[in-house]
Amino acid sequence: MSTPTQQRTRPPQGGRVTGKSPVYWLYLLPGGLLFSVIIVVPFVMNVGLSFASWPGVGDIAWIGFDNYTRLFADDTFWASFRNSIAMIIAMVIIPTSVGLLLASVLFDVIGKRFGGRAASTLRALYYLPQILPVAIAGIVMGWILRPQNGALNNILEAVGLGDLAQNWLGDPSTALPSVMAIMVWVQIGYPVVIFMAALQRVDPELYEAAEIDGAGWFRRFRAITIPQIKPETFVVALTCTIAAMKVFGPVFVLTRGGPGDATNVPSYFAYQNFFERANVGYGAAISTVLTLIIIVLSIVFIRFQARSERKERG
Amino acid sequence: MRTTRSLQAAGLVAASALVLAACGGDDNGGQATGDDGGQATSGGTLSLWHYEGENSAMGIAWDEAMRIFEEETGATVEFEEKSFEQIRQTANMVLNTSEAPDILEYNKGNASAGLLASQGLLTDISDAVAEYGWDEQLAPSVQTTARYDENGVMGDGAWYGIPNYGEFVMLYFNEDLFAEHGVAIPETYDDLVAAMDEFVANDVTPLAMSGAEYPAGQLFYELALSQADRQFVNDYQLYENPVDFSGAALSYGAETFSEWVQAGYIGDYSAGLSAEDMGTAFIAGDYPMLYSGSWWYGRFVDEIDGFDWSIDTFPGSDLHPGSSGNLWVVPTASENKDLAYQFIEITMRPEIQALLGNNGGVPVDADPDDITDEKSEELITVFNEISDADGLAFYPDWPVPGFYDDLVGALQQLINQNATPAEVLEQLQLAYESGLDNVPN
Repeated sequence: MSTPTQQRTRPPQGGRVTGKSPVYWLYLLPGGLLFSVIIVVPFVMNVGLSFASWPGVGDIAWIGFDNYTRLFADDTFWASFRNSIAMIIAMVIIPTSVGLLLASVLFDVIGKRFGGRAASTLRALYYLPQILPVAIAGIVMGWILRPQNGALNNILEAVGLGDLAQNWLGDPSTALPSVMAIMVWVQIGYPVVIFMAALQRVDPELYEAAEIDGAGWFRRFRAITIPQIKPETFVVALTCTIAAMKVFGPVFVLTRGGPGDATNVPSYFAYQNFFERANVGYGAAISTVLTLIIIVLSIVFIRFQARSERKERG
Repeated sequence: MRTTRSLQAAGLVAASALVLAACGGDDNGGQATGDDGGQATSGGTLSLWHYEGENSAMGIAWDEAMRIFEEETGATVEFEEKSFEQIRQTANMVLNTSEAPDILEYNKGNASAGLLASQGLLTDISDAVAEYGWDEQLAPSVQTTARYDENGVMGDGAWYGIPNYGEFVMLYFNEDLFAEHGVAIPETYDDLVAAMDEFVANDVTPLAMSGAEYPAGQLFYELALSQADRQFVNDYQLYENPVDFSGAALSYGAETFSEWVQAGYIGDYSAGLSAEDMGTAFIAGDYPMLYSGSWWYGRFVDEIDGFDWSIDTFPGSDLHPGSSGNLWVVPTASENKDLAYQFIEITMRPEIQALLGNNGGVPVDADPDDITDEKSEELITVFNEISDADGLAFYPDWPVPGFYDDLVGALQQLINQNATPAEVLEQLQLAYESGLDNVPN
């Protein structure tokens, strides 16, 4: 999406590429075709079905905005969106801030004192949960958190903290925090890797000059690291927010939205209606609302990023 | 850059695939017909889908049925192994296309086979039933799930499927734990409560339980059934009359379940446990009792070697969760319906029924003399008693699509004791009624 905009603002290079060149449109064709088949057509169909009552087979009954009126009065729908906010905390806010700190420590302290290899190894370890298939990670985490014979409770008992043992995923008061903690573990490697890559392109002279001027690590982190890697921070925050809004796999594997609606999220709620309740129209309405929220969030993010970049350029 | 190039390459490959697929046309309607396939014989091809494990009773029996079918008809079976979820979630989209198989195993009940039947996706096989006499082989309560009316409600109307096996829910006892704690195996409901009290007094949780999946809902339903009659089941499952969740039966179910948690009969930690957790804990000998289905039976025979165990129906109730097993159904789009009927006929023969029975399954029409395995005989005897007494009451989540999740959520609240039985029943009433809006009747 950003490529054509950037090219329009740049002067044509050697007159080879212009916005009107037919070859240019040819290159867009495969992507455009796939985008239409995989995204646009299903999305339009989904929006269409959100105005219908349909069990998934047979005749479709058009019911106007009924699904939407029902949706906004549905407690489960609102509960699922409240849980989305928890997912944003667990998948965006905590990993991005902790990831920034970790990346900076790995790059600036570990990398310098113990060598690049030590920093790379640690970075790979943080990234490991991102490589694990979510279904497997979820099942293993489910075992660890089991109330009886679960590794976590056993460890707590072994070190004399048996009172802290919980029914982690089975109790509504601990289920959501447990899922959030797992998501932090899953997510943390992504910002660390992106931020470490970003730090590579920051001019080392900036740090050296600051060090000579007597700036400590935290001062350098605040005055150089954070502003210098702002574009990457925006990208991480945006992609993670989208991932948090549409999170499905971990909830499906760990809790199936339960106990009660304690860990239900919009994607799982839509899935339940689509496939479990044979309530395709209602499921489509939930998906449509979710998609619209993600689009609006993305626009806000991108605008905010553009404004911040404009401000920097002065 | 590498990512961009890879994406471009993937895009090109996918686009080419789309173009090629579009050019391919559907010259023979996929694999279903197979008349011009390389291996086709004069008898044609029967495409067949099922989702039973290779080593399960059904897997073994049906494998043999396929062998006999090929031998007798000269036709080839084109078998595709599917998963339960795969068939459940995609059947309605696949069955009205040329990709539909000639015969498949499908989940029974209003929300499953009933829905497909009401939408015209399944063949009315009543004529074949009369021709082959399958109705005489199936007990009335087993027939219920094979017949659906025009709205897809089971019990009455045309035949849309044939089950080969049955299933039911019962109590499993770890006899060694009973002996160790000097507790007698219960025969009446009062015995059961007294036995559970004794175990609790000995610091043993008597009942293995799973709140995250079906077992809790089935126990709640069984407790309700102990206070109910066949009319209640007809109202709840077949919508003959409105169901009042605050009525005597269901209130008793929820209140007793909650009392059992408070009394320590059911662990208050079991809300997050899966059915697999529950079953493996029983196999490990951690619990004296398990209340669950006959689908565990074969596995317990194979995997329990540290203690003696036995089974019995839940005491004090004439009705029990259970039904026919899944059905053989013939899609409307099937191009080889006669071959499909011939295959069903083979699965109902005594030798295949015996094979089911001797491998831990519950055949619907086995000759008792053919069952040589002692443990299998015990299971089949209990099933026949329930089935002959018209005691199969189906499953609590059947009446409306999606009720399964509602039941799981409701029972988890009772296990965690963060809602009263009355509150839980009210939630279930709402979910049941809003689900009924999606049932076409």
